[in-house]
Amino acid sequence: MATEVILPRLGQGMESGTIVRWLKSEGEPVEKGEPLFELDTDKVTQEVEAEAAGVLLKIAVAEGEVPVGRTVAFIGQQGETVPDVSAAPPQETEAAEPRQDARPEPETEAPQQAAVASGNGRIKASPLARRIARERGIELSAIRGTGPDGRIVAEDVERAEAGAPAAAGAPAAATVRLPVGEAQRVPLTGIRKTIARRLTEAWQIPVFQLQTSADMTRVNALVARLRERDPDVRVTVTDVLTKVCAQALIRHRDVNAEFTEDAILLHPSANVGLAVAAPQGLVVPVIRSAERLSLPEIAAIRSDLVGRARESKLRAEDLEGGTFTISNLGMYAVERFTAVLNPPQAAIVAVGATEDRVVPFEGGTAVRPTVTLTGTFDHRAVDGAPAAAFLQTLKESLEDPGLAL
Amino acid sequence: MPELTYREAVRDALSTAMRQDDDVFIMGEDIAEMGGSMGVTAGMLDEFGRERIRNTPISEMALAGAAIGAAMQGMRPVAEIMYEDFLTLAAEQVVNQAAKLRYMSGGQLSVPVVFRTQGGAGWSPGAQHAQQLEAWFVHIPGLKVVFASTPEDVRGLLWSSIYDDNPVVFFEHRTLYPIKGDVPEEIEPIPLGRARVHRQGEDVTVIATGRLVHESLKAAEEAERDGISVEVVDPRTLQPLDEETLVASVKKTNRAVVAHEAVTRMGFGAEIAAVLQYQAFDWLDAPIERVGAKFAPLAFAPVMEAFVVPHADDVLAAIKRTVGKG
Amino acid sequence: MAKVEQRASLAKSELADVLREMLLIRRFEEKVEERFRAGDLPGFLHVAIGQEACAVGVCRALEDGDVIASTHRAHGHTLAQGTHPNELMAELYGKQEGCSHGYGGSMHLYDVERGNMGANAVIGGGLPHITGAALAFQMRGEPRVAVAFFGDGATNIGTFHESLNLAQLWTVPAVFVLEDNKWAESTPESQHSPIRDLSARAKAFGMKAIKADGQDVEAVYKATRQALDHARSGKGPVFLHLDTVRFSGHYIGDPQVYRDREEAKALRATRDPVEILRERLAITDEEFAEVDAEVTEIVEASVEFAKNGTDPAPEDALKNVYA
Repeated sequence: MATEVILPRLGQGMESGTIVRWLKSEGEPVEKGEPLFELDTDKVTQEVEAEAAGVLLKIAVAEGEVPVGRTVAFIGQQGETVPDVSAAPPQETEAAEPRQDARPEPETEAPQQAAVASGNGRIKASPLARRIARERGIELSAIRGTGPDGRIVAEDVERAEAGAPAAAGAPAAATVRLPVGEAQRVPLTGIRKTIARRLTEAWQIPVFQLQTSADMTRVNALVARLRERDPDVRVTVTDVLTKVCAQALIRHRDVNAEFTEDAILLHPSANVGLAVAAPQGLVVPVIRSAERLSLPEIAAIRSDLVGRARESKLRAEDLEGGTFTISNLGMYAVERFTAVLNPPQAAIVAVGATEDRVVPFEGGTAVRPTVTLTGTFDHRAVDGAPAAAFLQTLKESLEDPGLAL
Repeated sequence: MPELTYREAVRDALSTAMRQDDDVFIMGEDIAEMGGSMGVTAGMLDEFGRERIRNTPISEMALAGAAIGAAMQGMRPVAEIMYEDFLTLAAEQVVNQAAKLRYMSGGQLSVPVVFRTQGGAGWSPGAQHAQQLEAWFVHIPGLKVVFASTPEDVRGLLWSSIYDDNPVVFFEHRTLYPIKGDVPEEIEPIPLGRARVHRQGEDVTVIATGRLVHESLKAAEEAERDGISVEVVDPRTLQPLDEETLVASVKKTNRAVVAHEAVTRMGFGAEIAAVLQYQAFDWLDAPIERVGAKFAPLAFAPVMEAFVVPHADDVLAAIKRTVGKG
Repeated sequence: MAKVEQRASLAKSELADVLREMLLIRRFEEKVEERFRAGDLPGFLHVAIGQEACAVGVCRALEDGDVIASTHRAHGHTLAQGTHPNELMAELYGKQEGCSHGYGGSMHLYDVERGNMGANAVIGGGLPHITGAALAFQMRGEPRVAVAFFGDGATNIGTFHESLNLAQLWTVPAVFVLEDNKWAESTPESQHSPIRDLSARAKAFGMKAIKADGQDVEAVYKATRQALDHARSGKGPVFLHLDTVRFSGHYIGDPQVYRDREEAKALRATRDPVEILRERLAITDEEFAEVDAEVTEIVEASVEFAKNGTDPAPEDALKNVYA
């Protein structure tokens, strides 16, 4: 019996990923642990390894965004029959032709259906619905209308924005079976357009990167100890990172900065943003004045923000005022990476996975949990030396957390 | 507050004006001893005498034209046209003359005349005694057109019409004459061109005139029970039209129903719908509904009359269609 | 128009002036024909050549405060009521200086100050207004009379019957002046009326009728005075039946194919009101030529005045719709 290759959930809160390309072709033998395909999750593309050995019998989804859990391929013995993918899906699928039976939950129906309801390619939506969609950057084609004749009315747009996750851009791809090799169109949501625009802006800033590694032994111990003492609070390594970065930013004010036309602004407080994968795209909620908060306080705020981010319930004020961002892909098998600046902030730190490494230690070698931190800095606002000093403080504080108290 | 019937309210406006002002007088058919076909001028002959409550022969053109002639000389005559349908006979004088005299004379003349008339279906008056022709007259530049639906409104608006220096076609509705309503102690003139919001609501605006104001209020009550919040607005003056109030209401509710007793097709409601569509386009969450009579003359047999003419349930059905529950 | 003396008939001393006035109207109308043919004048134009005695005779008889309403053939009435030729010509040219400020044109000439309640493009359209005006005078107790001009064609229309009926019923101070030129546009009286004597229509309403020769200005004046006295005294309206001749076609440019040319020529020779008075006054050719030159100059000046007048601004079309 062939083994199904499903889109893995690589991190808490991951709901989908985009298959960028397959590293093996159909018919090729695959070893367990061999990279099978490239997966795009938010800002980083990483390789997904095969969990079974055999022959890659069939690639079910060649490219595009796929919800977690969806079968994307089959590995098995040469000649084995491969089940029909459409029989297996974990959630409702729609064929490309519209279904006749109306569903009670509009969110699960293919957005394409709404778009072709009018028959000639024109989307039926009331003037009010169109205006709301226009003002808020919501794609009408992704919304199913509940008005007469399938017309999209204002309520439908409001509901879509409030984030029935599927309605806001859940992929038609999830519910449409495509023959292998055909490109799948995922319409751009408003949020994705915003992300694209901002990152393009960020890319044009003259930046430089500095890298350091830190021994996380003490941080791990601290986190374990804190959890033991307050099981309800659940402090994480991210919280420690937040606190440590905040302290370092206060210590190195010239990194807690922002470049403007006529001045470099040095912010008085460290408002640390955390990059979070939300259903509709990357969002960066901010923990304000993190330098003044205790770890449990940071944990509570972080938990609330991330939770709401996952439910698309963040408010504008949650996203405003950040002076620095932490992008942590440590939960994935990413050793190190470079983050793109989050303008107008002058610095961002990319945190890779904490992994056991063999390092020189007290004259010999030891295996120590080590993390690589890569800082990206806006050279217009921050020079190399201050950036390096900042990074050094980070390393020292992680290796000796008491320094950040 | 005192209570008057719609009929009494009309009489009150006429009488009060005539008591204060020698320039106001009434001419019409059977308005003297008989007190008018609808009893509006009952008792006025005794108070004001034959000079000022003038029966005319059955000659609508002379009736309207002489009123116009007297108005041109500075008097404020009120010409009663017995049935709205007979406005068609007087139309030459109303449309070709009264509406245009000021204009054609380059502003030398004004024609402060009121053509009062009544119309509407109910109790089988038949096709030639039941029309609602306001659409004809709102279409004529130079005329003002009023259609009040409550005792308070009809009194205040008739007063203002008498004292407006322009020719006013003043519509009353025959089934409204007996309805009672509170009126202020003293006549409060209601300016022409101002709508009245009878009922506030959030989900849909019903713009109604004449008898349909009352039908719409009934429909609104019913709709409330279904969880639909209905706002009912009466424009009261059809020309000039209070676009501001109507548009503001529809911008609030995002849905509109226009209801009148007149035939829907090419009716006055079409103008309101066009105005709303244009000024509130991006606020509309549903197409604008129109409720009115079906496209047929008014039949005599009661069942047929009831079929042609709109009622509260027609308004209710339209309301429901706008919220997608039709 | 201020009246120095109100007598039952025109004084001899006035007649020269009356002739001048009729000649002025004549020359004005001829000029209007000329200017229309030259392409200067927009719209419909109806000249009253041959009917000058009716206009002058009636209007001269009126007193201050009396009002008139006219027909579509209103230039003569308008001039006779005192509107200056400049203002009238300017109106025909559609200028702001026109008596209706460019809003009316030939068929909607108004001069309220001079008691002219307007020409009317609708046959019989002004008749009920005269009944109504007379009613207003009666109700207010004013010693004023309202006078309507109309043609034989108008005696068939509804407003004629209704207005005269009502006026007689209420005994209002009105005079209804029939300028009976025997033509309703292109239809001779014999084809539009079953009766030959249109005074019978007035009698049908019980209204007093007075007849006069419409080409004899003195006769017209005298008959009008009688009618006015009757009406003004509260005895009721009067139907003044003037027998007149329309020399020109219904409208300028009307080839009058319906009319017998010989008959028209004969009428011109024998029934010209200007000539009739001129002969009666026995003035010399030189004197006549002098008067003619004078009025011609006035008419020419009015054309100059009109041509140099101010066009209304296009947006003025939206003014005066409502008071």
